[in-house]
Amino acid sequence: MVIHKRITRTMLDNKAQYLGSLVLILISCLLYTMFNQLSVNMDHITSSFETQYVQEDASFVTDKALTNIPELESKFGVVIDKGGVFDYAVSTDQSLRIFAENDKVNLYALIEGRALSGGDILLDPAYAKAHHIKVGDSIRVEGKDFTVSGFMSLPNYIYPLKKESDLLNDPDHFGIAVIGKDDFAAFHRGSSFYSVKVQGDPDSADSILAELKNELKSQNTVILKWINIDENPRVTAVTAKMANMNKVGAALPVTILLLTCILTGIVIWRMLKKEAVMIGTLYAQGYRMREIMNHYLRYPFVIAVIGGMIGTLLGALTLKPMLGFMVAYFNMPIDSVRFSIAHLAVSLLLPLLFLLISGTFIVRRALGHSPIELMRGGGQSRKIGFLERRLSLNKLKFSTKFKIREQLRSMPRSLFLLFGVALATMLLLLGFTMKSSMDFLLKDTYEDAYKYQYEYVFNSLQQGHPASGEPFSMSPFTETANGQKSFIVYGVRPDTKSISLADKAGSPLRFDQVIVTKPLADRLNIKQNDTIGIISKLDSGRYSIKVDRIADSYIGEYIFMPLTAFNEMLGYPQNSYLGVWSMDKLHFAEDQLLSSSSASDAKAAFASVTQPIQAMLGIISLMSFVIGLIVIYVVTSLIIEENKENISLMKVLGYKKKEVFSLILNSSTYIVILGFIIGVPLLLASMQAMFQSVADSTSFVLPVKINYAYLGLGFVIIILIYELSKAFSKKKINRISMIEALKSRAE
Amino acid sequence: MFMNLESVQKSYQTGDVSTPVLKGVAMGLEQGEIGVILGPSGSGKSTLLNIIGGLDRADAGKVTIGGIEVTGISDAQLTEYRRDCIGFVFQFYNLIPNLTVGENVEVVSNISKSPLKIDEVLKAVGMLEKKSRFPKELSGGEQQRVSIARAVVKNPQLLLCDEPTGALDFNTSRDILKLLQQINKEYGTTILMITHNTAISAMANRIFKVRDGEIVESTVNESVMPAERIEW
Ligand SMILES: Nc1ncnc2c1ncn2[C@@H]1O[C@H](COP(=O)(O)OP(=O)(O)OP(=O)(O)O)[C@@H](O)[C@H]1O
Ligand SMILES: [Mg+2]
Repeated sequence: MVIHKRITRTMLDNKAQYLGSLVLILISCLLYTMFNQLSVNMDHITSSFETQYVQEDASFVTDKALTNIPELESKFGVVIDKGGVFDYAVSTDQSLRIFAENDKVNLYALIEGRALSGGDILLDPAYAKAHHIKVGDSIRVEGKDFTVSGFMSLPNYIYPLKKESDLLNDPDHFGIAVIGKDDFAAFHRGSSFYSVKVQGDPDSADSILAELKNELKSQNTVILKWINIDENPRVTAVTAKMANMNKVGAALPVTILLLTCILTGIVIWRMLKKEAVMIGTLYAQGYRMREIMNHYLRYPFVIAVIGGMIGTLLGALTLKPMLGFMVAYFNMPIDSVRFSIAHLAVSLLLPLLFLLISGTFIVRRALGHSPIELMRGGGQSRKIGFLERRLSLNKLKFSTKFKIREQLRSMPRSLFLLFGVALATMLLLLGFTMKSSMDFLLKDTYEDAYKYQYEYVFNSLQQGHPASGEPFSMSPFTETANGQKSFIVYGVRPDTKSISLADKAGSPLRFDQVIVTKPLADRLNIKQNDTIGIISKLDSGRYSIKVDRIADSYIGEYIFMPLTAFNEMLGYPQNSYLGVWSMDKLHFAEDQLLSSSSASDAKAAFASVTQPIQAMLGIISLMSFVIGLIVIYVVTSLIIEENKENISLMKVLGYKKKEVFSLILNSSTYIVILGFIIGVPLLLASMQAMFQSVADSTSFVLPVKINYAYLGLGFVIIILIYELSKAFSKKKINRISMIEALKSRAE
Repeated sequence: MFMNLESVQKSYQTGDVSTPVLKGVAMGLEQGEIGVILGPSGSGKSTLLNIIGGLDRADAGKVTIGGIEVTGISDAQLTEYRRDCIGFVFQFYNLIPNLTVGENVEVVSNISKSPLKIDEVLKAVGMLEKKSRFPKELSGGEQQRVSIARAVVKNPQLLLCDEPTGALDFNTSRDILKLLQQINKEYGTTILMITHNTAISAMANRIFKVRDGEIVESTVNESVMPAERIEW
């Protein structure tokens, strides 16, 4: 039908409005495709990794070697593999954790290169990349040369954290490596641990593992450390991060799409109003409702299809590099890149569906008028709204009155602007808030709360007093009521200098009492003076403790109690301890230590990993800039379009250019400012919710902080966008001729 | 009679008050005739024409056009009736601004069963050379010619014109009237036209004078004058 020829012409005549909608759709489809295809691939990669390379169900450390592994295996229907590990200090601040190759559980996955043979070593790719090591290079471990035969990943070290309590990995200072069993044995050093995989029904894994623990206890074997796979942060970091990514992947594009629907809806609504006479004429000539509907739905259709296709295509193109980035970050092998047809279809069809539905709704409402009403100008007759009539504007200046009326007369347009500015504010401040929060967390945790520089944990109980440093003890527990997820109970000296915690009011807490950190108190729902029952993860012993105070800290699910009480509770010798905190570097024999770490390590890790996050936040900020610009520009051009006659008339009446700009363009200033003001608490609330859901899967509470400087900067940027779109619009106003006023009256 | 109206009534509701606009109108027109409706502003001429054209509904009475009883059919059937039988020419042309002259005519030929050739119609209204211009590049008279071409292209049984020369000067008006008369001759189209201008009635077969929603005078003109000889 020839009438459809109008579509391209109309769109070209109103480029700003249609291009704006198109770009918004494009952005939302790009984000949707990128996040969702990425998460499909990551899911697939993790699950195939877990099964193919026999990921453990739990790993543990005992005080003496197990001698009856085959009996245990057949008795409980499990596979147990004895692993060996030691940390090789490459330099003072860089260490490589060397594992012996396993043959039953936690098999290494080759990412690049060839499998191990004698004299070979496999490295984790992030470490290799950070230190510019290539396949075929030679590296020296403890005076012995190894050939790097390839890069690998271990199913129990997907995210290679140095310490389980670390938040972030740091390939500059820490990496993992695997060497052959014989090569490992030749070093005559390192400690052993056991990895168990339950065969058969995964649901019964928990009870089988509990029985295994009891059996070991009954054989007088002390379990020094036990960690289930679902609380191993080297694995759960991946699942938690992916879950968060999925949330972002679902929420963000849909929000932008919603904005697009409103934008396109307003554009079409405006068009229908402007074309009421034309629609009435078509109607009078015998066009059917269906045919008119069909014509007007082509506008959103074209936008949705083009925007959807380009956006989806761009999203698909980003998949490979993003996957590469994620895999490098999480250390897993990619066997193949897949495309989920379902997500592809959603990305292409969802904008279409949204826009067609909102389009149908609007076209239907407009076509509800009879042909005669439409030809008389239809809904174009400027009705005075309820609000406008109620407001008494008489006392205000003319220019203020004009601006307020302008907003009131087009509520959908004003609401859209408000919503758009609020969203842009949220996206913009998201980055800033994240950065403020992390800075705060870093300072609060590593400078104010945990004051020690080095932590050494032994692989067996120590007696008496350490030569230097401060003794402490630790042991993992679960709560009787809340099962599953474990936390750590520390025994510390009442006069400890290593830790400093404060209550909510900010007054420091003494360590001669039982203190629970806030993340744990939140999770277990503990209040001051509650008594809770706890179960040891190591020997399943049950204890009860009374909580004296709650510490207002953000990282770690910990309970602190006096060391003597700790030993007494667990039945350990009076002067025993398991670790030492120190301000200076201490030297212990490697085979005595389970782990060692330093605060500067942790800080460096934090610093190095915030870099990609900052890059991501940069992208989000840029996107928010674009979205804000589109929304404000489109609304400004709508205002100009609707006021064409007024502008023309003002010019005829002798208004100066500056006066016209001010009247027409500044009418949305209040809305933009209001949008920003609404955006801030909205962001803080949604961040709080997001952080809360992160807190459920990790053991830290991110405080939502935003610093006033950033808030000011955000405001300046929003105003800048507003001024920019006003500057773009000035040309448009200048182009409106004075004849316009006279001409359009005739129609 | 090709067109027949019997005691057509219509009133408009404004708030609680009901204003009668048509108070039992009866009129008729034979196939191939030209009819003219005369009357002061507000007397109900447009309302009458809209009811005949199926744009509006009568409250009571009967309207029959070419055997179809327009007063008794559904909204959807009314659309089909307009689509197949009626051509409209409006005072303010109502052309689609971003379609060319040719395309504006095509808009209607697209939806009709047996349309005339677009070029033939454009030639008949003298707009063939300006086929690819846009409406804003035309004068008022030229726009009205296009609007007539658009109404005629579907070869309607009845052409309804609401003050087709209302916005035009004397010479242009006469050209338009000539054109309508020519179409009436060439295609045998029945034409019903509203005008304020008594002089125009000289070219009609039947003249209806409307006042206050009633036909106060209905005359048959035995000596139809060619449009080019009309003066006012
Ligand atoms: N939608 C409406 N609601 C209320 N009253 C209406 C409506 N449409 C028309 N009227 C009234 O009906 C009367 C007849 O209107 P109509 O348009 O038929 O007059 P007309 O004879 O065509 O006048 P003109 O020569 O000025 O075009 C007028 O008094 C008008 O005010
Ligand atoms: Mg009229």
